[in-house]
Amino acid sequence: MKSRPSPRHDRPCLQPGLRRPLVLLSLCLSLVLGGFPGLVREGAAADKLIVYSGRAEKLIKPVLDAFQAKTGVQVELLSSGTTELVNRLQAEGGRTPADVLITNDAGSLERARELGLLQPLHLKEIDQAIAPSFRAADGSWIGLSGRFWTLVYNTNLVKPGEVQSVLDLAEPRWKGKIAIPNAGSEYLQAGVSVIKVAQGDERTRKFLLGLKSNAGTFVYGKSSQIVDALAKGEVALGLVNHYYLYRYLADHPGAPIAIHMLDQQDNGMGAIMNVAGAGVVKHSRHPDSAKRLMEFLVSRDGQKLFADLNKEYPLHPDVPADPALPKRETIRTAAVPLARLAELREPAMAMIEQAGLR
Amino acid sequence: MATTVRHALPASLSMFAFTVAGLAGLPLAFVAYMALTAGTPVWSRLWQTRIPELLLNTGALALSVSAGTLLLGVSLAWLVVRYDFPARRFWEWTLVLPLAMPTYVLAYVYTYLLGIGGPIEQIWQTWAGPDARIFPPHSLSGATLVMTLDTFPFVYLLSRTALMNFNVSFEEVAQACGASRLRTWFCVTLPLMRPAIVAGLSLVVLYVVSDFGAVSLLRFQTFTYAVYQQVSGRYDHAAAAALSLLLVLLALLFLVAERWFRQRSRFYQTTGRYRAPARKALPPLGAWLATTYAAAVFAASFGVPAWLLAKWSLAALAEGALDARFLGFITNSLLLSGSAATLAIAIGTPLAYVATRRPSTLHVLCSQAVYAGYVLPGPVGALALLVLISHVAPFWYGTILVLIAAYVLHFLPTGLQAMEPALQQVTPNLEEAARSLGYGPAGTLRSVTLPLVRGGFIAAWVLMFLQCMKELPATLLLRPVGYDTLAVRIWLEASEEYYQLAAPSALLIVAVTIPAILLLVSKDWRAA
Repeated sequence: MKSRPSPRHDRPCLQPGLRRPLVLLSLCLSLVLGGFPGLVREGAAADKLIVYSGRAEKLIKPVLDAFQAKTGVQVELLSSGTTELVNRLQAEGGRTPADVLITNDAGSLERARELGLLQPLHLKEIDQAIAPSFRAADGSWIGLSGRFWTLVYNTNLVKPGEVQSVLDLAEPRWKGKIAIPNAGSEYLQAGVSVIKVAQGDERTRKFLLGLKSNAGTFVYGKSSQIVDALAKGEVALGLVNHYYLYRYLADHPGAPIAIHMLDQQDNGMGAIMNVAGAGVVKHSRHPDSAKRLMEFLVSRDGQKLFADLNKEYPLHPDVPADPALPKRETIRTAAVPLARLAELREPAMAMIEQAGLR
Repeated sequence: MATTVRHALPASLSMFAFTVAGLAGLPLAFVAYMALTAGTPVWSRLWQTRIPELLLNTGALALSVSAGTLLLGVSLAWLVVRYDFPARRFWEWTLVLPLAMPTYVLAYVYTYLLGIGGPIEQIWQTWAGPDARIFPPHSLSGATLVMTLDTFPFVYLLSRTALMNFNVSFEEVAQACGASRLRTWFCVTLPLMRPAIVAGLSLVVLYVVSDFGAVSLLRFQTFTYAVYQQVSGRYDHAAAAALSLLLVLLALLFLVAERWFRQRSRFYQTTGRYRAPARKALPPLGAWLATTYAAAVFAASFGVPAWLLAKWSLAALAEGALDARFLGFITNSLLLSGSAATLAIAIGTPLAYVATRRPSTLHVLCSQAVYAGYVLPGPVGALALLVLISHVAPFWYGTILVLIAAYVLHFLPTGLQAMEPALQQVTPNLEEAARSLGYGPAGTLRSVTLPLVRGGFIAAWVLMFLQCMKELPATLLLRPVGYDTLAVRIWLEASEEYYQLAAPSALLIVAVTIPAILLLVSKDWRAA
């Protein structure tokens, strides 16, 4: 595929200025076709365990490194958006190089299971470590760490206990004082899904309309922006995943912000929780290594490392969470099965859009 | 013998054009198939809830950004070509640099700058009182600002080249005949610049309607953003395909109109000689105004964002974010973008030649089919390519060839946009003269046509290279395992909101693309 040999009579008229680009062009082409790393399909041939991860590289790579150091199994990581990875797995089908899928959201794992992309796994270690409510019914995926979608407030502007339920946030007295994520946020979608099941459509609709009017222009694309606005006192209340508070406090010690677990009152619906989790890909070429990784992830060491990197709650009952977090035993969780988050997503999104949240 | 060669080449060229157009049309055909089998419920839901708003927003954004870039691009080009003021050469070069800034990075910087409690609002509040608010970045104004600052160099560059290639005798004749300077400008200069301005604006419009990075960060509801939401939020491929198809049809309508417009205003360079216009020195006040103007545009579009990136990068470096792996990311980015741009030139040359020299309906249709690749929204186009390749050519799948193919499909139109006008400016008479003097078609191409269009082709290469460097949706979906690029790194860090960690990658993209950009302005790429 190098540049075609030119006819004899053309040589003399090839201008010096033109010769260089042509040489460059053929150089580039031969470089491309001459076989550099990306041309060799990695993973398929190499005996490496390939992990598709929708969880940030910073939060998962140390865990995989620890696994590699402990077992000697080589791991290759492909980080991407969770949806991109599920789409990719679906398109790749039986030819996928992937062995394990890790995501930050039970809904996407359940979606992958529905699409037939994962294989059921029944291991004694998993059954002992992770409660059935944090696993797929057929064992296709398991939860690894818990995260709460909850209230963070500015301690100068709000007294603890002023807000009890997430539904209180729709009251008119919070007008112009609350920051919320935009309609595209998967946290908001999962949160509304839970509220919808626990409280019914009518109350959810009223809640969303009140929330929209209270938030006004304080609609953010990123949770870190919400926490930042809270710390600066621009807003009094905000809805985010709990670990964003600790991430902000690590950089800004002493910032006037605190966390409050919602809906803990008697007969309350309980806090809204989601899990990060993992599943073995159906067409994995290294099922044994994949199982070893899953075993490691539910082991005490693996659980501690996986959860602490992002200040989440380990799901293994014997592994303590980071001491900075509210004690898990004190938190009551909303009784909506995680596996239902997938089917609830579409109606929740429709409600969010109908309420006019953007 | 000579006659057979003469006829054989166009035939093979046509065949080539058909083949490329057919291949390029495959992903589109796949998307169209998905859209048309979506069923009426999907379409009626979209029509009731989304389409009118999206049409309005996308149209408004395209119009306002066009107006903004027209104003900035033409005025700046005019200033640096026709007038002399302190550091003119410096501004002439630096005004192209915004092309190195990925739109999503600029959008992020402006959400920070214009956000609630951001620096600009604080400055504004010291003037206008503590409750004063500026316009939020998440609005039409915000999206217009970011897009205009990012894309005005397209218009600037093409207008500048047109002004430099401009034969000043035309203006002198007009003035000798008694036309005022204003009249000369509107009746002679502007019409002669029109093809370049139209080409620049259509690049801008195509960029605006196909970009998804900025609109998704600014949450401005355009077609691309809606498509992105459907694909990523809902796993709803049918709705995404339907919206994509609609966008492609709209863009094709726009392109047909543009082509018609360009056809009507066709100017040939009839000789290799021309007289360059003389530069007028500006008086002190004028020089000061010109410098302030250029500096302000530069600061807003490149200076301030680059400074912020550098500041954040330093913080990230302190955390040890930059390690040896970055060398690999840089190489991956350069290699992918370089090969894609080179391959696109190789494929694009015959296409552009056929479309400009023999603009039969069929040939024009071919190049229109290729143009569709540009506006097919990245996430959907990449998904279609992924499905196609993994079924049709599985042995390719998982290699960077897929990614290169995706880049070529997506960015070839940008290249054609620069290659076609370059070819158009070469009068066919010159080629015919070469042929009559005994050169074969290949010889004519090599010793007459290519040297004359070299500038346009280099510009095409650089434009495609730049966009490949910044490309995100296809790279994210199609890259082989373990093959990260700089753009992917930005996304990976930013997606979990470690913005400081994303800054070094963004700064590196800017740094490694600057040489390519300077190539655009470093030489007089005028016909020899």
